[in-house]
Amino acid sequence: MKRLLLLSFALVLLAGLCFAEPVEIKVWHYWGGFEAVPFQAVIDGFNASQNKAHAVAQYLPREELNRQYTIGLAGGNLPDIAMVDNPDHASYAAMGLFLDITDRVKAWEGNGKFFEGPWLSCTYQGKVYGVPQNSNCLALYYNVDMLKAAGVNPPATWDELAAAAKKLTKPGVYALAISAIGNEEGTFQYLPWLLSSGATITKLDSPESVKSLTFLTNLVKNGFMSSEVINWTQADAEKQFATGRAAMMVNGPWNLQAVQTDAPNMNWYLAKIPKDKKYTSVLGGENMGITATSQYPNEAWAFLKYMSGTSVMETYMTTSGKFPPRSDVMNGSDFWKSDRLLKVFADQMQYAMPRGPHPRWPDISNAISTALQEALSKTKTPAQALKDAQGKVTKALSN
Amino acid sequence: MRRATYEKGDRGAGYLWVLPALAFMIAFIGYPLAYNLVLSFQKVDVMNIKTVGKPFIGIGNYREIFLGDVLSTSLTNTLLFTIGCLVLQFSIGLALALYFTTGFRLQVRLRGLLTVAWMVPSTVVALLFKFMLSPSCGILNYIIVGTGILREPIGWLTSSSTALWGTIIANTWIGVPFNMILLTAGISGIPGELYESAAIDGATGAQRFFRITVPLLKPAMYAVLILGFVYTFKVFDLIYVMTNGGPVHATEVLSTYAYKLSFERFHFSEGAAAANVLFACLFLVALGYLRLVRDDEEIHA
Repeated sequence: MKRLLLLSFALVLLAGLCFAEPVEIKVWHYWGGFEAVPFQAVIDGFNASQNKAHAVAQYLPREELNRQYTIGLAGGNLPDIAMVDNPDHASYAAMGLFLDITDRVKAWEGNGKFFEGPWLSCTYQGKVYGVPQNSNCLALYYNVDMLKAAGVNPPATWDELAAAAKKLTKPGVYALAISAIGNEEGTFQYLPWLLSSGATITKLDSPESVKSLTFLTNLVKNGFMSSEVINWTQADAEKQFATGRAAMMVNGPWNLQAVQTDAPNMNWYLAKIPKDKKYTSVLGGENMGITATSQYPNEAWAFLKYMSGTSVMETYMTTSGKFPPRSDVMNGSDFWKSDRLLKVFADQMQYAMPRGPHPRWPDISNAISTALQEALSKTKTPAQALKDAQGKVTKALSN
Repeated sequence: MRRATYEKGDRGAGYLWVLPALAFMIAFIGYPLAYNLVLSFQKVDVMNIKTVGKPFIGIGNYREIFLGDVLSTSLTNTLLFTIGCLVLQFSIGLALALYFTTGFRLQVRLRGLLTVAWMVPSTVVALLFKFMLSPSCGILNYIIVGTGILREPIGWLTSSSTALWGTIIANTWIGVPFNMILLTAGISGIPGELYESAAIDGATGAQRFFRITVPLLKPAMYAVLILGFVYTFKVFDLIYVMTNGGPVHATEVLSTYAYKLSFERFHFSEGAAAANVLFACLFLVALGYLRLVRDDEEIHA
């Protein structure tokens, strides 16, 4: 009897070894709605491609996701693969969220194939802590019929924008919608204006910076842009544009599908963000890295390699309205040059500047979005707001 | 008062009975408080959260946040918000409680219906009021402009001068039913004979209210106000969703400030210090309440 028991036990053990259950790889991201679908296809593709690991995607709203990472660092639950907004990557790398994958990357075919901006955002102190998952930038959406009715062309410069705004503003319709909310989104939306003036992030109190903030403040002052922009997210701006309450908006390619769905009959198109001295945009996008606490770093790395492979990446990008961070994918396909909408973003993409990378970026961003809010709500003059912001940035960088 | 006498063995058993509750308190209330206190005297930020042996910097974090202008703004906002909400919630709640004890058909059902506001999650209320207060498509401005009271819509949540009021209105809506229910319970505990005999003696309605209702309702009022104070003072989700503390800190309260310091800017120690300021305020209020209740009991004893 005893021997039989032992035998069956050994058999079970042997069976377990032969048919090892795939290990579970938890992937946390903040893509809800439309954005979750193409990513789930990547997950499913990975699971079907091999039997060592089973990836499971978990959606959390962005703020909540970041909070979970921070709590996880203090000893809580963390996934195997964590997605972060690219300006936040350096902070999380500095805090020790991510595994150093420098050596793994060296032995990888994708090494050196990525665009510099997205790639640098994954690095901290010369080491690699993740791979860029996608890239995006901002452009100008405009309502073709409204512009036609007002007799204006899509504005290419700030002066043209101001002139067009005057003609486009009507009761119930603002000329332009942006997001000037008091967080990273607000900073992201303000930076194209700031950088276009010739100003730099390290010198926020320059006359050029003041000019850029004054320009936006005047749009609100003159009634061309709603004073509510300081409470709008980019999703809110999209709703304003799609419902015809704004003739133009600044937004990213991730909202293309939302506009198409919300306003199927609207006649709209895209242009580059109007410039002062030069065209600019800001490099947006997400990165994914293996967490330092992951029990299955090898399987997690296999997922990152699968996701970043040229053909998987191309399929994902073409179905998600995002841009490939790999130059060989971007240049190897005609998709981004031929698609009526995406080619405008592709054009704008070449002017996209990265944010940071710097572990203190949240402080810098906070200073910038606060100045934006102060000026647009008329709490401070643009010059004063930016002077105070510069003080905060200097302080943040000094300690 | 008769003091109970215990045998020595009983006392040991007594401690034993207290032990589970004490252990619970230490583990789930004492530890986080102590951890937060220690954290607020260390320097922990984005650069050293994972390193062992965090440096102690004394009151450095408190000095840092008290020297900045955001802490005083959020402290003032928190106080204004709390007082504004309490005054509105309490007076409306009391008025409704009195109304719903007059005794008419359907009063119980109607009162039940009113409590729905209290059951709606505050994030949902926040979104509802965000829409209702919007200058471009909100119903409140539609009424104000439509009836000709004002020519221009009010940007309730977008102007620094009105944003706090916007949040107070929304929070009052949630708080009124809570006040009403507790006060109704208090009122129904007052014996009806008191009013009858007062009426026979010729007391007016106002006299009956101030001489009978108010004094006898005092314990319920204290409880409502103190619970309301604690609940309102630590408001977070309503404001976070409605305005995220903006525009420009106009609705920044201690909890949102502490949250942003810790989770958006990774100044963990400063965030802990700000949270402790919030805790200290509530602790003082709780002490005051205990004293008030004790004094009251001694008078009546």
